[in-house]
Amino acid sequence: MTRYAMVMDTRRCIGCQSCTIACRTWNELPIDIIYNPVVSEGAEGTWPNVHMNFTPMICMHCAKPACVPACPTGASRQDDDGIVWVEPTQCMGCKVCANACPYGARDYTKSEGFMRKCTFCKDRVREGEQPYCVKTCHQKARIFGDLDDPNSEVSKLVGKFKTERIHEDLGTEPQVYYIRDLGGRG
Amino acid sequence: MTDKIDFHADDVVVRKSACYFCHQNCGVLAYVKDGKLIYAEGDPDHPTNAGGLCTRGNQAMTFVDNPSRINYPMKRAGKKGENKWERVSWDQALTEIAAKLNQIKEESGPEAVAAAAGTLRTDDWARRRVLNFVGTPNGFHNALLCWIPTFMIETAISGWSPFETDLGTSKCVVLWGMNPGASSMPGAHGYFDLQKANGMKLIVVDPRYTETAAHADLWLPLRPGSDAALSLAMLNVILNEFLYDFDFVENWCTDIDELRDHMEPYTPEWAAPLTWLDPEQIREAARMYATNRPGNMQWADTWDQLGRSASAGTQARAIMRAICGNLDVPGGDGMPGPAAYVTDEELERNDVLPDEVKSKQIGSDKYKLTTFPGYERLAEISRRKWGKAFTAEWMCEAHGPSVFKAIITGDPYQVRALFCSGTNPISSYGDSKMVWEALKKVEFMVVLEYFMTPTALMADYVLPVAGAMERPVVHTNYGVTDSIVASERAIDPLYERKSDYDIWRELGLACGQGKEAWPYDSLEEELFHVIEPLGMPVSSYDEFVEKYRMYYPPVRYKKHEARGQFCTNTGKVELNSTVFQEFGYPGMPTYLGAPENEVDDPEVAEEYPIVLTTGGGFMPFHHSEHFNNPIIRYIKPDPFFTINPELAEKLDIKDGDWCWIETRRGRMKQRANVEPAIDPRAIYTQRGWWFPERDWNDPDQPFGCLESNTNVITSVDDEHCDPLTGCWANRGLMCKVYKCTAIDHEFTHEDAQFSIPGSDFATKGAGVHSMPHEQKMAREFAEPIFAQPDTEVPEGFAWDYKTRRIYEESTGMTLDPSGWLIDEAGTYYQQGTHFKYVNYNGDFLLDEANGKYYDFSGNPSEGPQYAGAELPAGVTWNPVTLTTVHDKTGFRYDGDSGWVIDDATGTYYDVANGWKYENVNGVDYLHDVQGDAWYDMQYNAVAAPQN
Repeated sequence: MTRYAMVMDTRRCIGCQSCTIACRTWNELPIDIIYNPVVSEGAEGTWPNVHMNFTPMICMHCAKPACVPACPTGASRQDDDGIVWVEPTQCMGCKVCANACPYGARDYTKSEGFMRKCTFCKDRVREGEQPYCVKTCHQKARIFGDLDDPNSEVSKLVGKFKTERIHEDLGTEPQVYYIRDLGGRG
Repeated sequence: MTDKIDFHADDVVVRKSACYFCHQNCGVLAYVKDGKLIYAEGDPDHPTNAGGLCTRGNQAMTFVDNPSRINYPMKRAGKKGENKWERVSWDQALTEIAAKLNQIKEESGPEAVAAAAGTLRTDDWARRRVLNFVGTPNGFHNALLCWIPTFMIETAISGWSPFETDLGTSKCVVLWGMNPGASSMPGAHGYFDLQKANGMKLIVVDPRYTETAAHADLWLPLRPGSDAALSLAMLNVILNEFLYDFDFVENWCTDIDELRDHMEPYTPEWAAPLTWLDPEQIREAARMYATNRPGNMQWADTWDQLGRSASAGTQARAIMRAICGNLDVPGGDGMPGPAAYVTDEELERNDVLPDEVKSKQIGSDKYKLTTFPGYERLAEISRRKWGKAFTAEWMCEAHGPSVFKAIITGDPYQVRALFCSGTNPISSYGDSKMVWEALKKVEFMVVLEYFMTPTALMADYVLPVAGAMERPVVHTNYGVTDSIVASERAIDPLYERKSDYDIWRELGLACGQGKEAWPYDSLEEELFHVIEPLGMPVSSYDEFVEKYRMYYPPVRYKKHEARGQFCTNTGKVELNSTVFQEFGYPGMPTYLGAPENEVDDPEVAEEYPIVLTTGGGFMPFHHSEHFNNPIIRYIKPDPFFTINPELAEKLDIKDGDWCWIETRRGRMKQRANVEPAIDPRAIYTQRGWWFPERDWNDPDQPFGCLESNTNVITSVDDEHCDPLTGCWANRGLMCKVYKCTAIDHEFTHEDAQFSIPGSDFATKGAGVHSMPHEQKMAREFAEPIFAQPDTEVPEGFAWDYKTRRIYEESTGMTLDPSGWLIDEAGTYYQQGTHFKYVNYNGDFLLDEANGKYYDFSGNPSEGPQYAGAELPAGVTWNPVTLTTVHDKTGFRYDGDSGWVIDDATGTYYDVANGWKYENVNGVDYLHDVQGDAWYDMQYNAVAAPQN
């Protein structure tokens, strides 16, 4: 089996937002839709004892996604390899899935009339390529791969480092793992 | 995207192209179908980016076919700035421009033509060639804010700027005012990986807490603009604690003791109040850098934006690299030297620019190192020692702000025509209001651009330029490195766009410059000529890109050991620079304070208490570019300045508030980003802001080009500019900040009024109050620009200001103050007679033409007599060559040993018979070669020895 997952090495992320823009380019997104923002509180602490972290966001492609069962039309679906996506022809744009998703990973586009979300670039991935945000990252802060393959880089990283997942307590089993380093200063 | 396009179809061609949106020139694979660009992605095989692309790089597609691109040559149809255009043919545009140029040249001299250009967007050597053939020295870039001061200072001290960092085995890297997290992203993670892998120390000097500072082993958050004080104090520590490389200093540096004495006052305690740092922090930094060898100090343009304190700090830093033994060693600061291929300097045709216009270069009377006086001196040294010189474009240019002042005031003379290629000077040069006035006032302006900028709006002609995908791109670090990374044209230029090479070439031809100036028909042909000396088995430039893409010569470390010298004036690393002294500057780092600071100008600090830093880059924009790209702009729609929460609270400023930021030169507004990422005594403003979406038809500031433009408040006053290099002040200025209120929210007509720098806008108001030549300089110098000789130049002699000597025109020999002539080998000759001075057993004069000797009174003389013991028979003294010659063999008789020696082979012969000395099997023999007889050392005949 294949289980796609992503590791975010936040120690390497510098918040340049190249992934944000690259994603829009590849997926030809409308101007107001962003799949993968990089969020940060900026510097925190008291000068000069401050630290700063960046958190690249993306759809978590949860093992137990809240958005898929919420969909009344069956447009929201999950494939065997874990990729959660929306079939636009069946979507009526009711936004129930957006309300269900705890990660804000879904957006409604008025101009198109359906929900949009990150697909892990399934068009690329299934041709053996990396998702476009992964390819474009200069810092190699985003790592993508098959979690079921013990030799994949994601498996090794998840095994080696203490990782955390966002809103793990909600039981959605998100498949994006964050490597944190709260070193920095302060 | 793949739903629509099959990249792997047979009719899709993949071209190895490059990104052009910053200096990294990341590799891009361009997918082309039927001559159309269908997709572009990072090239996984490119050494710079390995497949990655940043926000800007990902906009290659939207840039190529952006609806707001300029696609046709346009001629002004209405009044200046009215935005009415007539589309014209290239032929018409270039013919008319050439006619106007020739007219201005005829009426006012070629120096009335000036040209500004953007940063590495353009083939600058082609522009320089046009300007050289036109005969004007007044081309310029924003070079003085970006590396060029550093390059020239370091080249004077060490022979070539040591800018190529070799990180692999480095033990310590200093990122001083550099934030690769925002400015050179492909490289950023390299530092952090090495820190983990090799335990490399990372020292970050930055007044802001940045992406990069977050990873530092030692972070020095200094007062903005006080870098020179820190640099001098670190050098003081290294000298006083003897942390430097003794062997290197002993063998390869000059004047270490003088330097130690000179640096004595600059202690960490002296620097502490200037830099806001603790003396122990400064000591720790100096020790960490000096004891973790090899180490690098990376270049950052902070150094070139400090204004008047810039060169002292740069000089101290260059000396630190050298005395710590980091020059040109593995893991240190590599000095590439000039390239084996045809360099930009050779393409520029600097040979055709007449000497008499060089002294008319604007700014060359003030800032001598980066204009003709300093350039020609250093280029002459470089040519003598390396064999080639560095580019004149960038390194030897008019002082941009002084050109704008000349347009407004006619001082030192009226500049009538201005070219702007790929630059928007309102955003990128200091004192924007003054620049704007100059652009409105200039008689004739031609703009080569991609988009309609506020500058293009004021043009007489706007010419459409081809972008990165539409032209070949070469990366050679401004033409001063020895490697080359080449990329090919992905598609032909769309519409009627042309690469700027083609525009300059055709303009040159229209001006009547002819085949001599422009021997090649296309950029690819000219670039093939560039790489030809490399001897690669290729028959075209594109083939080179396809097969090799890049050329890196083998890395050679410690080139000075092989050469026996550094390529400086004295052949050593000049801790006390002789070239600086020649131009009347201090030879050793001598402190000048930041342009405005609370210590030197307490009265300014009273009104403007907050320290301003600006000029630092920020993602996703590059300089003033990409503000008109909606996809990029969406993530950063508004300008923000960073202010510490403590200061914000004091000023009642909340996150997101629009605020005025005011200096003595005016005010502009940005929104508050309240964040503890900067000291509570300072703020950081973003650069480059203009609003392409706004109304062009605002006579005070089209496209909102002044309103949030940080350069409205920066300074180009002569007394704020660095005395050696003329770089102006973006960092360490004094400002005040206050909230925009309901009645004081708009940028008004009054806010847009200019003043001439040097006059004080805050006290004197708008207008011209003094002429540029009356203005005070940061430092007065001892000598006039093109240094004059101390004594009168006699008839038949001439003065060469480059080498600072009087020479005889017929022979080229130097006239010594003693009255003697000296040739290149250092031999003295009598003036007039050209008799050679011979000092051997007395003083004599030798007429080399006939070998006759004279004494100093002019009477014939027998010449010098042999000074050694009496000569044996068969040896003759030759007074002309001053040698003793053995008659039989013609070889030299050596009086000390009593043997005759063939110096070419090192063979010995006996004097009496001319027999050859040989040693066979440990026994000494004399060998009569002609008679084939052998003798022992007592001249007894013996049998021939057996080998």
